[in-house]
Amino acid sequence: MDQLLQHLANAVIVGGTYALLGIGLTLIFGIMRIVNFTHGELYAFGGYMMYFFAVVLGMNFYMSIAFAICAGMLLGAAIEFLLLRSKRGADIDTTMLIMIGAWIVLQNTEHLAWGSIAKSIDSPFAIEPVTMGPISLSRIRIFVLIVAVALIVATYVLINRTKLGKAMRATFQDSSTAALMGINTSAIYTITFGLGSALAAAAGALLGPVFVVTPTMGDLASLKAFAIVILGGLGNITGAVFGGFILAFVEEMGASYISSGYRDAMGFLIIIVVLLFRPTGLFARSERVG
Amino acid sequence: MLEIKNLVCRYGKVTALKGISLKVPANSLVVLVGANGAGKSTTLRAISGLVPAASGSIRFNGEEISGRTASRILSLGIAHCPEGRRVFGQMTVLENLEVGCYLRKDAALIRQDIDHIFGLFPRLAERRKQVAGTLSGGEQQMLAIGRAMMSRPKLIMFDEPSLGLAPNIVSQTFDIIRGIRDSGTTVLMVEQNAFAALDMCNYAYLLEAGSMALEGPGERLINDPHVREAYLGAGLAHA
Repeated sequence: MDQLLQHLANAVIVGGTYALLGIGLTLIFGIMRIVNFTHGELYAFGGYMMYFFAVVLGMNFYMSIAFAICAGMLLGAAIEFLLLRSKRGADIDTTMLIMIGAWIVLQNTEHLAWGSIAKSIDSPFAIEPVTMGPISLSRIRIFVLIVAVALIVATYVLINRTKLGKAMRATFQDSSTAALMGINTSAIYTITFGLGSALAAAAGALLGPVFVVTPTMGDLASLKAFAIVILGGLGNITGAVFGGFILAFVEEMGASYISSGYRDAMGFLIIIVVLLFRPTGLFARSERVG
Repeated sequence: MLEIKNLVCRYGKVTALKGISLKVPANSLVVLVGANGAGKSTTLRAISGLVPAASGSIRFNGEEISGRTASRILSLGIAHCPEGRRVFGQMTVLENLEVGCYLRKDAALIRQDIDHIFGLFPRLAERRKQVAGTLSGGEQQMLAIGRAMMSRPKLIMFDEPSLGLAPNIVSQTFDIIRGIRDSGTTVLMVEQNAFAALDMCNYAYLLEAGSMALEGPGERLINDPHVREAYLGAGLAHA
């Protein structure tokens, strides 16, 4: 029982960052219909920017996180502006190929810029864990969860309660009618891609100090983000949050009670099951985003 | 108020408009009738900036607007209520109206205008928190009209406002459109229901295969043998 509680707590902690990754990806797909293969690279980019600001420049830890998120947003907006803007209305296959190309370029640039040796980032948190009854959790992981949840709530409020969010939802539902309402849909696309990328970079910046930063860390993150988004239903933000926690839970349980070697495989196992029985995702509605 | 001269629009290699000209005087209700694919919707889409003009000019109150962005054209005072209503189905009635005044910044007046729309369409007021996709066709049409009015346009364009609506709702919709004209907003309307449209308008244009075939006051078109034959169903005792 104690062990189960510990595993549940671990799943919640990991789930927060998974949800963050998933929301970013689902937002981009839901609003822009772009299968974003660079999502994992934005995650890795967030990790490297964290390393750059906190270690190379020696900046304050918390400030570094904020800067890394902003850098991710700028890179995402630049990708959209340079690679996707002129291809608006193009076939989904075309944009998919562009994004695969961008993914390869970004990953190799990371290799070139930082080398292939893993980078570690020190955190200001004490090593000894917080113990609550049978559960013990590392301080930095609790911090990561809190920030992740705060970012998820902020995204939710932005989409559902602000004028910009209204314009984003209108653009997603019917972009030409949204344009008739005076919404600058091109700008909405750039902002959406920037926002989704910022969330991926946030996950990377938060987990960089927990693990290490490597040029290939984005690959698994990408795969998991897709898994989360498929679980929750493409374009469904609430679904992505649940998808993130479900994936974390299944991985944790699978790793603990079946075999730890299968941790990363567990997620894909449930995707296969979900796709077989609910191909539109667990939380699918007929429409998306929101 | 609106003046189009020799407007040409192309979709790829297909020429949808082959140099049309039309005028919409202030405070009038002008209709554009014609068969499917004649270019009626394209004309409206070109005016509101959704379709680029290959050549020709579109002037609004003397200002050239072809080539301008949709949001610029809207802010000059041209609203477009699109074909098929196109309400934002996952957003509430209130949110749809708020998106309709996306460019406006005068919060107090916006409140007032929303109340005005709800006064005009009490059914919408009852359903203000309901998502628009669950409204009936007629209610969605009211919402689409209300949404277009939220930008406080000088000219409002309706594309097939009667499409897919029950007959009693159609006449109600036309009453509302007449009311909009009577309250001082100029109207340009595209309509397949040619008889009703010609009957209510001040002036009409007949578009055939991308060219203007005929123009004149509504009555004259109603009594034109060609129009009667092709669009009104000759032999029906309409007039």
